Amino acid sequence: MNFAIEAKGLQKTFVSGWLRKRKKEALRGVDLSVPEGAFWGLLGPNGAGKTTLLSILSNLLIPEQGEVRVLGKDFRKNAMEICRRINVSSGHANFLWSLNVRENLEYYAMLYGLSGKTRQKRVEDLLDLFGLSDFARVRFDELSTGTKQKLSLAKSLVNDPALLLLDEPTVGLDPDVAHRIREAIQRLHREKGTTILMTTHNMKEAEALCEQVAFIKDGRIKALGKPKDLKSELRLGDTIVIAFSGPLHAESLQGLKGIYALQTSDSSCRILVDDLHERLPQILDFFIREKTFIHDLRIQESDLEDVFMAFTR
Amino acid sequence: MSSWLLQDELTKTRAFVFKNWIMTKRNVFTLFEILFWPFVAFLSVGFLTEFAALQPEMKAFILIGVIAMSAVQVCQLDVAYALLYDVWSKAVKHGFAAPVGIRHLLLGSLVVGILRGGSVFLLLVAASYVLFGFDFTLPGPLPMALFVLGLFLSAAMVGVFVCILVLMFGNRAEVAAWSLVSLMLLLCGVYYPVSVLPAWVRVLAEIIPLTYFLEYFRLFYGFPPIFSHVLLKGYVMVIVYLVIEVYAMKAALHRAKRTGLLLKLSE
Repeated sequence: MNFAIEAKGLQKTFVSGWLRKRKKEALRGVDLSVPEGAFWGLLGPNGAGKTTLLSILSNLLIPEQGEVRVLGKDFRKNAMEICRRINVSSGHANFLWSLNVRENLEYYAMLYGLSGKTRQKRVEDLLDLFGLSDFARVRFDELSTGTKQKLSLAKSLVNDPALLLLDEPTVGLDPDVAHRIREAIQRLHREKGTTILMTTHNMKEAEALCEQVAFIKDGRIKALGKPKDLKSELRLGDTIVIAFSGPLHAESLQGLKGIYALQTSDSSCRILVDDLHERLPQILDFFIREKTFIHDLRIQESDLEDVFMAFTR
Repeated sequence: MSSWLLQDELTKTRAFVFKNWIMTKRNVFTLFEILFWPFVAFLSVGFLTEFAALQPEMKAFILIGVIAMSAVQVCQLDVAYALLYDVWSKAVKHGFAAPVGIRHLLLGSLVVGILRGGSVFLLLVAASYVLFGFDFTLPGPLPMALFVLGLFLSAAMVGVFVCILVLMFGNRAEVAAWSLVSLMLLLCGVYYPVSVLPAWVRVLAEIIPLTYFLEYFRLFYGFPPIFSHVLLKGYVMVIVYLVIEVYAMKAALHRAKRTGLLLKLSE
């Protein structure tokens, strides 16, 4: 398997202050291998080390220890070659304030070596792709937050990167704009097979977009896997709440497969199952067999947010 | 060098020309830098020479210094702006995440610097002739070209030095963009010959290439240079300094990536 990112034992400490030096360990030995063509998420609380890791992967920070290979190459020897093939987009984007949208894109396209008609076409395509054509002549400092964010994403695609690093790409956006940006990212991954590593605080976003997620806390990767696997690893499961009437020995449910926990009363039960889609039919069968009438049935699916809470506690 | 590589180099250099040029066009302060401050300084000094009823050669001595300083100041600002515009826009990281080198930044911004500094130079040369009867073209085209090239290389040297300071100390070092030239004004013999400086200060003057370029050009107005081989010394010094600075800037950039300053400049 080829890896777009191979990080081993990354350590990064920030030192601040002149007389009294303060040290902040941002990364304490991070190992991460992202296969080519994957779409992975990097989740964690504020200050966990997400942006630090992304900055190292985009050659904006140098770690004290550890090795990084991006697209199969070492930054220490092939920085220019790697930078040519990767790009980065961050939330709260900032670009040259006096340049308009088109000029900003042209400027960054030139920095990546695009010239002449190739550059013009790429800039026009990106303006179209992100619905920025109407803002092409608007200066950066006059744009709304959402449009700035779209420009940031558009800029990150000027060099048609093989690896895209996204740092909270939808932070601070209204739901509609965030949704459209998510769609654009998804389309890019689907159609071009671009490897994407994205940090986000939005668990729903990570669950919807990412094939795998890594949880980082206190500078260490605490867990890595598919959202579904992480849920089962933590035995978070899904909750089914049933209100019923009639005689029922609800405790008998305990004998069913995949039940993590069970709380019962005379007329209701609360069942924590490993997988809702597999267990619900079995539970309904049980109630039918017991000839018990179900008044109400509610489902509380656990999501990545629960996983996040479990890991950050 | 293959044609693709050459094209790549030119495009990346052009990016910095493009950025500085548009920022110049869109910001009023850059117009002030070309028209207001240089003219205020030039006219003040020019009228002072009139008031003091200086001999024509003394007047030439001072006006050469004023015109040269103004051209250097404006040109060096552009080289410093190649980084400072990104710092002020908090967009430093995007530039340095791209596959560009210090050479692209230096050459691209220097092109705009030469255009702006050259404009100031030509305007002041014309104004000095019209207002104070001073003929800047007296030495002839070649000495003029050598002098002006020396000025622009000196400006590049100062501009890169500002960039190095910003990469080492962050925003607080941006003040160097305006103060370094003032220091040169004091040391390089802009308004007076370096021979009037105390011996220990003269040592500092001797390590600044601009001192030699001014000495060279004033030679044609009847001021024999204090130092020997002034043109050669000026060029060798400025080129050596520029080469050292390019490596120093690479080292400063590496350090900024190590300390996290590069990211802080984007926040």
